[in-house]
Amino acid sequence: MSRPQPLALMLFVMIGTLAAASAAHAADRHALIGRQAPDFALRSAAGPNLRLSEHRGDVVVLSFWSSRCNTCRAQLAELDRLYATYRPAGFVVFGINVDDEPRAAVEFARAQAASFPMLFDPSKSTARSYDIDNLPMLVAIDRFGIVRWVRRDDRRSGVAEYTAALRRLIDE
Amino acid sequence: MARPDNQTHRRPCHPVAAWLASWVASWLLMLAPSFAQEAAPAPATTPPTVPAEPPAGQAESAESAESAPDTKALDEEVQLLKKDAVDLNRELFMLEEELLFPANTQVAVFLSMDVGEFFGLDSVQLKIDGREVGNYLYTQREAEALLKGGVHRIYLGNLKVGEHELVAIFTGKGPNEREYRRGASLRFSKAVGAKYLELRITDRQRRGQPEFEIKDWE
Repeated sequence: MSRPQPLALMLFVMIGTLAAASAAHAADRHALIGRQAPDFALRSAAGPNLRLSEHRGDVVVLSFWSSRCNTCRAQLAELDRLYATYRPAGFVVFGINVDDEPRAAVEFARAQAASFPMLFDPSKSTARSYDIDNLPMLVAIDRFGIVRWVRRDDRRSGVAEYTAALRRLIDE
Repeated sequence: MARPDNQTHRRPCHPVAAWLASWVASWLLMLAPSFAQEAAPAPATTPPTVPAEPPAGQAESAESAESAPDTKALDEEVQLLKKDAVDLNRELFMLEEELLFPANTQVAVFLSMDVGEFFGLDSVQLKIDGREVGNYLYTQREAEALLKGGVHRIYLGNLKVGEHELVAIFTGKGPNEREYRRGASLRFSKAVGAKYLELRITDRQRRGQPEFEIKDWE
């Protein structure tokens, strides 16, 4: 019987550690995970006010963004693509702006031309209730209104991961 | 000499022997049931017998006949549990209200709308004694529910006995889809016991304008 080689064992441990670290980075822990998503009503760039609880039964993704955040632009564009694909399956995206200056936020939202609602949270009450500590930040809420995962990762490589996670959530 | 297996060798039989054989056979047939009864083993010593399976159709109908009352009973149990949960929730809600907002200090403000031809509600800001106590954004669905006769409790809080002032600021779309912002105020006296106030938005047809008033439910 052949004994395991120490080099192979070390390699295995290293790969395992890297995979664990990557997974931990991709799906960050958050106090709200597994809990009821705090309800909110915010004004939208398009006009009407929107309330989260009125979208119970849909998979909702909240994307917190700011006009000063460059990586937010790419993420919002990616979310727009996902929204166009999965909207008929009950998928909703809310882009929530946390700028102090509403004019900059409106200009940014117009330039982005996203098909999903862009909401404004100038008082940051919603951002506080979701404990937002990074931009961009994604919060995924299932059809029962429970926060399922939170992502603080803004890498392009993370798109495939959260797309797969969203697809699983939509399929549930 | 070996014979083929499918062939039988018959030997001619004597008539007396044949008659005797048939007589013994008939007697044996007659006595067989009584022997069988006597020879029936005691139930204690025999292994348990497996009941013969009924035909498939009968088995299914019997199963469905048995499972139907079970399902019904289970459904009734689930309904009872649901009712209990709703009752418990209501009791907890009332208990919470009694504890957090005792009747002696309780103040509740409601909002109602009538017609809504001249005003599209967007939000209501509430101030009591100069302090902001509520700011509610109405969605399209909520505004529609109000127009259908719904009443929204916009604020529930505590106030001490004495004179107070309530100010409500309404924003929305006025006539000709213009931004519209109006205020209404009421000085009211809080006595011992709960106080209920109602913000009413109505249409003044003659002037073609909305009207905002605060009503004190005595």
